[in-house]
Amino acid sequence: MVFIADSFRGRTPGSRPSRFPGFDVLDEVDRWDAATAGVVLARLTPSPELSFFTGVEQATAEALCDHLLAQHDEPRVPVAALIDVRLATGETDGWHYADMPEDGEAWRQTLAFLDDDATQRYGTVFGELTKDQQAAVVQAIQNLKTQRWHALPANQVWSLWTRYACTAFYSHPWAWNEMGFPGPAYPRGYKNIGLDKREPFEVAQQ
Amino acid sequence: MKVGAAMKVGASLSLYGDVRTRNDSAWLLPKAPGFPHQLRDDMRRYDETDEVDIVIVGCGAGGATLAQRLARAGWSVVAVDAGPFWDPETDWVSDERGSHSLYWTDPRLISGADPVPMGSNNSGRGVGGSMVHYAGYTPRFHPSDFATLSNDGVGADWPISYHDLRPYYEHIEHELPVAGQPWPWGDPHSYPFQAQPVSGNGDVFINGCERLGIPVRVGPVAIANGRFGNRPHCIYRGFCLQGCKVNAKASPLITHVPDALAHGAEIRAHSHVSSVLIDEHTGLATGVTYFKDGVERRQKARMVALAAYSIETPRLLLLSTSKRFKNGLCNDEGQVGHYVMVQGAPQTAGRFESEVRMYKGPPPEVSSEEFYETDPAAEYKRGFSIQNVSPLPITFAEHVIAQGHWGEALRDYMRDYVHWSSLGSLCELLPSYENGVTLASEADKHGLPVANFSYSMCDNDKQLIKAAQSKMEQILRAAGATETMTIQRFAHLVGGCRMATSAKDGVVDDHLRTFAVPNLYVTDGSVLLTQGSANPALTIMSLAARLADHLVGVSRG
Repeated sequence: MVFIADSFRGRTPGSRPSRFPGFDVLDEVDRWDAATAGVVLARLTPSPELSFFTGVEQATAEALCDHLLAQHDEPRVPVAALIDVRLATGETDGWHYADMPEDGEAWRQTLAFLDDDATQRYGTVFGELTKDQQAAVVQAIQNLKTQRWHALPANQVWSLWTRYACTAFYSHPWAWNEMGFPGPAYPRGYKNIGLDKREPFEVAQQ
Repeated sequence: MKVGAAMKVGASLSLYGDVRTRNDSAWLLPKAPGFPHQLRDDMRRYDETDEVDIVIVGCGAGGATLAQRLARAGWSVVAVDAGPFWDPETDWVSDERGSHSLYWTDPRLISGADPVPMGSNNSGRGVGGSMVHYAGYTPRFHPSDFATLSNDGVGADWPISYHDLRPYYEHIEHELPVAGQPWPWGDPHSYPFQAQPVSGNGDVFINGCERLGIPVRVGPVAIANGRFGNRPHCIYRGFCLQGCKVNAKASPLITHVPDALAHGAEIRAHSHVSSVLIDEHTGLATGVTYFKDGVERRQKARMVALAAYSIETPRLLLLSTSKRFKNGLCNDEGQVGHYVMVQGAPQTAGRFESEVRMYKGPPPEVSSEEFYETDPAAEYKRGFSIQNVSPLPITFAEHVIAQGHWGEALRDYMRDYVHWSSLGSLCELLPSYENGVTLASEADKHGLPVANFSYSMCDNDKQLIKAAQSKMEQILRAAGATETMTIQRFAHLVGGCRMATSAKDGVVDDHLRTFAVPNLYVTDGSVLLTQGSANPALTIMSLAARLADHLVGVSRG
């Protein structure tokens, strides 16, 4: 029996009504292998004391990630904290575009640029803006596509942000709950494969 | 579950006997999951001053196959790998995000008009190489792939033909082993195991093709449909791309390394090779230097084989400078690092009324090579294949992001994940001298300059990718998709030290021996001249098996 606090069970990000009523990935945790359970459950409780991002960067990173993922209500998947764990330990993808700095430095630079844009347009940092103002700043960057944003190619900045944000968010059991995805599958496997076939622990989408 | 009407049982299980005369790996594995620890504990260990018969750099498709063959023939073998010696049971997880350590994540730069992202998609690390996390598709090349210049006026002609490789394709298909329906394309052939049952994702592909009259087959997949030696049956877990914890999907870690160990090979993990040593007087390779635990060491050897793949093999040659080879080893003619190829690999997803739940069942299921050859009516030369792919949540989010969605729209698409099915194409992009690897000014943790991989597509490439995308959309629509979305991407890596008939056109000869150094060989995907629309793993292993036969033959006179 793996101990998981009740506050982590049966949740979806922002407590939205689920399209998969009653489905909770964590109900099956006793059928996961130990190696997998270890890495997945650690995502539920990353340290709130970040070690890579500075305080100013943290505020901007949290606002940016929550905005990219429409996380406007509690409980939130701690996306910025999960990214911080990666960057603090240097767990990057390794490669980077020749006209971009390595990932950690790219995060620092782009968060500062984001605050610059927010300050220039609205007189305050990105994290202090309203939802609509944040959307306007972010949309302007996406619209630049292959053009430069500050010194960097906007599409590659967009790729960096969305890659890290989606990797963190869609590795979290709460995000799997809202997708109907059962997560780890070893040694249990699947028995009912084929169109419209479900396992006893899968729930039909409503 | 439904499979095409042509499904038949391939060759019978009596072929076990034949396999065991070449390779006993599946019977050396434990009956429970994991790696045979006793075999690893008892592994022969050479001293670095021992002059072994061969040191092999890299322990993936090319390196592990060569190590197994030569060890079995009685050679003293040390195979060195930069990454870990994996134990599937304790080191791998049934989780997308948690599988990061399977990829080569040392720094690399990517550039050119169409930079190719690396990492999970096309790089490996550790014993087993990138086959640890490949999907498991193991098609052969077509005979036409070996003469595209003569036949189509594009690409290059190989110094060997399909028939030189054919016996080795058959051997490796039995050793992995490969499951699939009898194959009608290229050189028609059957597979040792009958095809796996297919999931909802495979059903969609077969339905769409049947409605359009496009031939399609289940396989070829390197997962036995049944037990194989001590390897258990697949459990349809869907995490093939995260390393198979079950030991059902083939990778050299379980298909060749156990037999290599049993025949006295040493696998030296966590050892990053930094240069090939050359005797300035004889011009022969004398071994390698490598970093282990931060200390630079060396291993003496009578022969050296490089199997570090299309980025690291050229990088290692370029790093191995000496008085004789000022511009890098084997690089007098400026060929090292050039003609690196990737396949165009657009993936198209379709939304269906039914729940597809494409995460269930192995991602490799069904393929069609109907569009593999040059279509005389088309504007472009060469072709593409189509295969099932089944992106897990993080990868599927990349598909949605690629449409420009974010925020609420991203979340909405993702909540609908169970209704989506997905196809991937492999498009034969043409080799170009300009595409390849140079050394960057940035250095890795050992202080060695890292690779800069530059890649740009030509017009033929772009036309092919467009045609492939349109065909996938047609198939998904025919199967009932109400919406489709496509992500543009690349897959696989080959070339960079290509085979040739003379030193001015390549780095190695038709037996993979470097033109410049008589006892230095390259035995990985970097020797390929063209890539077809086939996943390269089977061809790389078959080339290594052919090289081993040649070396053993020469040594026995």
